[in-house]
Amino acid sequence: MKEYLATFHTHLSALLSCTALKKAGVSARMTPVPRTLSSSCGTCVRYTAEQDHFPLLDQDYECVYILSQQEWALLHANDI
Amino acid sequence: MKKHHLLMIVAGVVVGLAALILTASGNPANMGFCIACFLRDIAGGLGLHSAGKVQYIRPEIIGLTLGAFGMAFAGKEFRARAGSAPALRFLLGALVIIGALAFLGCPLRMVLRLAGGDLTAIAGLLGFVFGILIGVVCLKKGFSLGRAYKVKKSDSFVLPGFMVGLLVLLVAAPAFIHFSQEGPGASHAFWIISLVAGLVVGAVAQKSRLCMAGGIRDAFLLRDFNLLTGFVAIFVTVLIGNIVLSKFNPTLAVQPIAHHDYIWSFLGMTVVGWGSILLGGCPLRQLILAGEGNGDSAVTVFGMIVGAAIAHNFGMAGNADAMVDGTFTAGGVSTAGQIGIAIALVLLLIISLCNLYKEANAK
Repeated sequence: MKEYLATFHTHLSALLSCTALKKAGVSARMTPVPRTLSSSCGTCVRYTAEQDHFPLLDQDYECVYILSQQEWALLHANDI
Repeated sequence: MKKHHLLMIVAGVVVGLAALILTASGNPANMGFCIACFLRDIAGGLGLHSAGKVQYIRPEIIGLTLGAFGMAFAGKEFRARAGSAPALRFLLGALVIIGALAFLGCPLRMVLRLAGGDLTAIAGLLGFVFGILIGVVCLKKGFSLGRAYKVKKSDSFVLPGFMVGLLVLLVAAPAFIHFSQEGPGASHAFWIISLVAGLVVGAVAQKSRLCMAGGIRDAFLLRDFNLLTGFVAIFVTVLIGNIVLSKFNPTLAVQPIAHHDYIWSFLGMTVVGWGSILLGGCPLRQLILAGEGNGDSAVTVFGMIVGAAIAHNFGMAGNADAMVDGTFTAGGVSTAGQIGIAIALVLLLIISLCNLYKEANAK
């Protein structure tokens, strides 16, 4: 299992994504965005899964990170 | 202790120390910082209202924005973004300041008042927490003002540029700029001290993400207490400072620039707490986000300035209690102020309900 973290442009997007992940049986929880990743004080979703589950994330996701050697490594950015 | 916890505590201590220094240097009692009061003073200084006792271009506000601007640039975190319901944010900014000025303080001054022993501010604290709880319920029900997008860089320089313009007007002091000769507006530290304090606090607030509303929001919404430690650190620092300086006066009696109108203090700060959650941050945080290049927060700050002007032009701001030659004169919130708060609460309800997530609309 791998550890993922997704940041979002809005709190609602985080809420919808967390709900969708949980419905799919993925272990997910909402937490504040780590300061090392963003100056935003918004909400992110941390989840543990075999794959990144991009399709389950709301369209207003910002970035998806994967935990690698105790640090978050950027997997994908949706920074428009 | 984790690095971000330590950073938040340091930020709270720095803000507390800056507030103590500013008060000792001439700012009004328990008003080292007050975003609502200082934006109100700036509105007065620009002639947007005519309350003669509260007119002064406060360098603290300029410093907060430019300090955040500088720190964001240095940390490569300056990002030009906008487009998240700017008109609603302008309105929300105005409502938040109308509520804060009825109470006589933004959330930051509320903490400074409590740390000075002003027990009348407890009503405001309770209202602030209540308002945040309403906001948290809205978030849980799917409230959103929509996302912001990348915009042209020039958009992000509007508020920092406005602040530079204010600094020029403060120093040049042309005849059309108003300076109070008495009252809170005439009580201020030397402008360079105020500016430097603002710059330092703006920088640490950007680095730490300090937010007076966010701390309580995260505690209820996410069971996370990091932002709240900054809130507590400010309180503890100023409390210790006031005790050491013999300025701690724990009583319900006449307090500096405060009143005993508990119900309307509660409701005024309910507006502030609720509105701040809908906006995504307290008035201080809006200044910091605008300094980071967020155009929506810049619009919110302009809304707050206009709200401050409206509050005074329409007689909605709270009146402080006074004790002159042993004679007590009760202050409080006027009928106009009460109507203003009632309208603000109704508007917050409408804005909240109109922006809840509807599954059918999303498809």
